[in-house]
Amino acid sequence: MFVEIVTPEGTLISKEVDGVVLPTIEGETGVLPGHIPLITKIQRGELKLQEGTNVDLIAVDTGYAEVIGDRVAILTEGAVDIEDVDLGSIQAAQQRATEALEEAKTSDLDPAEIEQLETRLQFLMTQKLIKETSR
Amino acid sequence: MSKIAHIKRRIKSVKNTRQITRAMQLVAASKMKRAQDRALASRDYSLLLARMLHVAISHTSEINHPLMTERSVKKRGILLISSDKGLCGAMNANLFRSVAEIEGEADFVSVGRKGKQFLSRADKNLVADFTVSDKVGYGEVRPVIEFLIKSYMDGEIDTVEVLFPRFVNTMVQEPVTVRILPLLNLEEEIDKLKVKGEENTLDETEDDREIKYEPDVETILRDLPELFIKQEVYQFFLSAKASEHSARMVAMKSATDNASSLVDDLTLKFNKARQAAITQEILEIAAATASNK
Repeated sequence: MFVEIVTPEGTLISKEVDGVVLPTIEGETGVLPGHIPLITKIQRGELKLQEGTNVDLIAVDTGYAEVIGDRVAILTEGAVDIEDVDLGSIQAAQQRATEALEEAKTSDLDPAEIEQLETRLQFLMTQKLIKETSR
Repeated sequence: MSKIAHIKRRIKSVKNTRQITRAMQLVAASKMKRAQDRALASRDYSLLLARMLHVAISHTSEINHPLMTERSVKKRGILLISSDKGLCGAMNANLFRSVAEIEGEADFVSVGRKGKQFLSRADKNLVADFTVSDKVGYGEVRPVIEFLIKSYMDGEIDTVEVLFPRFVNTMVQEPVTVRILPLLNLEEEIDKLKVKGEENTLDETEDDREIKYEPDVETILRDLPELFIKQEVYQFFLSAKASEHSARMVAMKSATDNASSLVDDLTLKFNKARQAAITQEILEIAAATASNK
């Protein structure tokens, strides 16, 4: 089955896999070839891509997933391959995000933009959590 | 002599102009690069969002969503995206020609100073005017979209259409009108987002079983259309910005080239005049010597 993960920054993954585990808002949903068509909301968490015996972990932000035919499309605000995540840089990014958020709250920024910063911070925390548990 | 001085002055002034147009060309080129990159990066996202919604609509028998129900069109709502500044070739003029072709009663919402000026001069019904800076922040675009959705929901307008200069490539920008509300058939939108020559991504949905929604259809279809509209219109803004900068770059490039050829012509004229003056002088001296003998 073909899987693609797309974020506003571009396409992160687009390849053939054997199976996908989606972090939907109702819990984890495993998708194998021949799955019924499905559209679901996904929540911040870890998405698993199975290729043979190898499992890739991807941290995803909130979004939607669509399963149709032998295709899984994941539309999310942000996605990162956990292997590319480095705890040190996450910590630094988290620091920056927290500061930016503090600053934004004192100035009169657009509420939508503040929300975006909050989302970003939460997503960073998710990445950190997955990275730590996957070791 | 005064003719030579006159030509010299003109050469100088044309050279000055060339310097300015060249600087503008370079600035536009770097801005274009950035705008293009941004438009391209989020294009995948918009495309997938459009496809997802398309699949949802075509695989669900009953949809009851205010943004997806067709009603008789009494008044169209048109968002015109133009540029704030001029000197970008025929881009705005082409856009305004499309405005003139619009039939029926329509309310206009404008973004961009040029568009606002045109609409008020053309005596169109301009209901709102927004400013979006060169950076095209999402926070700037959101109020525009929310205003349009609200007007649509309140029944003030029966469609929401966006007229903007679509970025095809650096040389070509075409004015297009895309209807985003009501959301009925997304094929047109998907076509508009795609770059020419790309394969059709809708074909592989041969799976015709009814789609299952988790947690339920209401939850999904409550947010998805709105997210789609916001993302789509934002994408149009990015595309329009990339168009503006490339149109400006091309216009300024040809202005620079024209200035260069004008300088060449004038230099030739100048040399000719100088030579003529020298010949004249020699003739005069020769004549004077001859008559003195």
